[in-house]
Amino acid sequence: MSGQSRRALLLLFAGFSLWALAFVVFYALQALGCAYGWPQHRLILISAYLLAILAMAWLAWATPHWAGDKGVLPIAAKWANRAALAATILILLPVSFASACI
Amino acid sequence: MSAPLSPIALHKQLSRIWGTPPGWGRLSSVNHTILGKRFMLVALLFFAIGGLLAMLIRAQLATPHSAFIGPDIYNQLFTMHGTVMMFLFAIPMFEGLAIYLLPKILGARDMAFPRLTAYGFWCYVMGGSILIVAMLAGVAPNGGWFMYTPLSSRPYTPGINADVWLLGITFVEISAVTAAIEIVVSILKMRAPGMALARMPLFGWYMLITAGMMVVGFPPLILGSILLELERAFGLPFFDPERGGDPLLWQHLFWLFGHPEVYIIFLPAAGVLSTIIPVFAQRAILGYRALIAAIVAMGFLSFGLWVHHMFTVGIPHLALAFFSAASALVAVPTAIQIFAWIGTLASGRPRWDVPMLYVAGFFAVFVMGGLTGVMLAMVPFNTQAHDSYFVVAHLHYVLVGGFVFPMLAALYYWLPHITGRQSLYRLSVPAFWLILIGFNATFFFMHVTGLMGMPRRISTYPSNWGWDWLNLLSSVGSFILTMGFALVLADLVLQLRFGKPFRRDPWRAATLEWAMPTPPPHYAFAALPRIERRADQLRPAEIGPVLARGDGYLGFARDGQMETLGVDMVSGEVEHVIVLPHPTFLPLWTALATAAFFLALLFGQYWLAPLAAVVVVALFLCWPSRLGRTDDLGPVDIGRGETAPYDGEASGNICVLANRTALVTNGTLFASLLFGGLFLAVVAPN
Repeated sequence: MSGQSRRALLLLFAGFSLWALAFVVFYALQALGCAYGWPQHRLILISAYLLAILAMAWLAWATPHWAGDKGVLPIAAKWANRAALAATILILLPVSFASACI
Repeated sequence: MSAPLSPIALHKQLSRIWGTPPGWGRLSSVNHTILGKRFMLVALLFFAIGGLLAMLIRAQLATPHSAFIGPDIYNQLFTMHGTVMMFLFAIPMFEGLAIYLLPKILGARDMAFPRLTAYGFWCYVMGGSILIVAMLAGVAPNGGWFMYTPLSSRPYTPGINADVWLLGITFVEISAVTAAIEIVVSILKMRAPGMALARMPLFGWYMLITAGMMVVGFPPLILGSILLELERAFGLPFFDPERGGDPLLWQHLFWLFGHPEVYIIFLPAAGVLSTIIPVFAQRAILGYRALIAAIVAMGFLSFGLWVHHMFTVGIPHLALAFFSAASALVAVPTAIQIFAWIGTLASGRPRWDVPMLYVAGFFAVFVMGGLTGVMLAMVPFNTQAHDSYFVVAHLHYVLVGGFVFPMLAALYYWLPHITGRQSLYRLSVPAFWLILIGFNATFFFMHVTGLMGMPRRISTYPSNWGWDWLNLLSSVGSFILTMGFALVLADLVLQLRFGKPFRRDPWRAATLEWAMPTPPPHYAFAALPRIERRADQLRPAEIGPVLARGDGYLGFARDGQMETLGVDMVSGEVEHVIVLPHPTFLPLWTALATAAFFLALLFGQYWLAPLAAVVVVALFLCWPSRLGRTDDLGPVDIGRGETAPYDGEASGNICVLANRTALVTNGTLFASLLFGGLFLAVVAPN
């Protein structure tokens, strides 16, 4: 019970923690690529975007849920992780088209 | 244990153990009920000061070419208004509410670290006093509440005005960080037995996420303040572009704190709404699980918005797009909460009372602020409206709608709990209408003046630009708003004096704080309950008398110790007995020594600062001198035929969790430092 519940609590924060990490990494990749003139800047950004989406999608679909009172945290975790996936897709989508540097 | 005591005898015994000494001894209090009330009272005092400053600002702007106060004083006034309202009112107000309410709503006898609560309170009072005294002396901060560099750097702000802000606010933030750590630990480890996280009232969830945000949200500002003070005091170049720094680093560090701060203020208010609305809708909250997910989403997404305050500083399109999308997206979890509240009211049998007036006011005002927020999240519109009165209108709609209105609802809802008396309501309704009308009259017109091009922070304006009557209306509105607040104050005084006493649970609420006598005794619960269902669907009127006669966990006094229970973080099963410390003057002395440290820096007496720091450390080392045991007793009786060991004998005790949480704070501080270093290396390599 306790181990399962603890996992549910961790999963509740896992998706958005990953989102936060991806957000910071992308902001850094964008800035560093511009500062040092990386030739494959766009390719790196899009590859990282796909990687982030794959990781988030796996997390969103792998989050288990079970019914009843004990299911409150896992179900909330599943929704939070799917929301994190949607946020990742939408917020980082501009890596595919927006100009990266001034 | 010995034979059970009568409820009265038990009450007397527990009161003796948990009570605070009279006279000067009151200053030694570490009790959460007392300190929560003190926090809220002092926050209200600062709110009054901030309101007075707002009146002066509006008096100055009521007419063009006004000679009421000159630009120098005006700069201090608007800086102090923002600073007081954000740092000395909003944050301490919800900290006070959390400190007062959390143990009661979660079923504990106090917060995890009562001395830390007291230390935080004294740091808040002393840090806030530094700012107010500086204002009275005419040397208040004057660079705007976000202290942008290079304006706040030494060449452009040569006096101690900026130092007052940097040091005073850092001092005050000690209380925010200590409260955050304490709230995290208290929520996770000090709930009533059986109250699994999945059964915790939503107020607990909101405060858990808020405190988590504070743990990682405040270090960037603390770091920024330290760096700017180092630059000002010792000439180290962090933000000065002429010497290799970059002013944008300050903006990054400030808004890394500053934007989450808006949600740090809103989320506790949303927790209040999620507690009050079901009571008046007479049904359980709709979408409990969805709300938990929405709170988590909001807590994280709100960190991804900080650059939307910097859209006009020259940032690549890609970064603008990241932050614009995140800024718009944060409206989704907000909307989920608003729909859950509306759905709860729509599907319940709403009854109207004064707290509900303010809830309705919240809906109208906050939704409008949210919509203008989505407008400002769009880069092209933001570029047009940047630094105009449109932004001033938006932020007041969000902050007053999202915090002040819910807090007024909370005031009318929980004041009977604090005083044991119910409101008379003669003044409550006219006060509400004055506040609602006055607020909208003040700030709605600012949208228009902003769209007409009026910039923020100007102390006067010419009469031929069409802003005159709009500003006059705003100023008239602000005085109506003030009259409304004055009526609320009068209403409170009347309630304290003439309010009708009640027995228990006047609102027919379903949370644990109403299952205790009112006004609450120092020990909160005579016995701790076993929770078998979701803890926002309880029957306090039935549980209360049972607990009052000691029927539950720890329904006795043992060896004069202040005992409460520690539980498993997730399942809520009993893990250990926590022994809390008795009243002591140590937090006050430590806060005084901390004040000496900050004052030494403020007045440039750098030789004194290390001495004060040594005294602070020495005093902290004295704190644990008479706590804990030298021998293991094994499991002891906790009532209901169960046993549990003392916290010193348990592995997952509150000290371990508190240290881990503090390490997260430190980690964030160093991560921010790393970010700053990388930023300067990339942007200003010289």
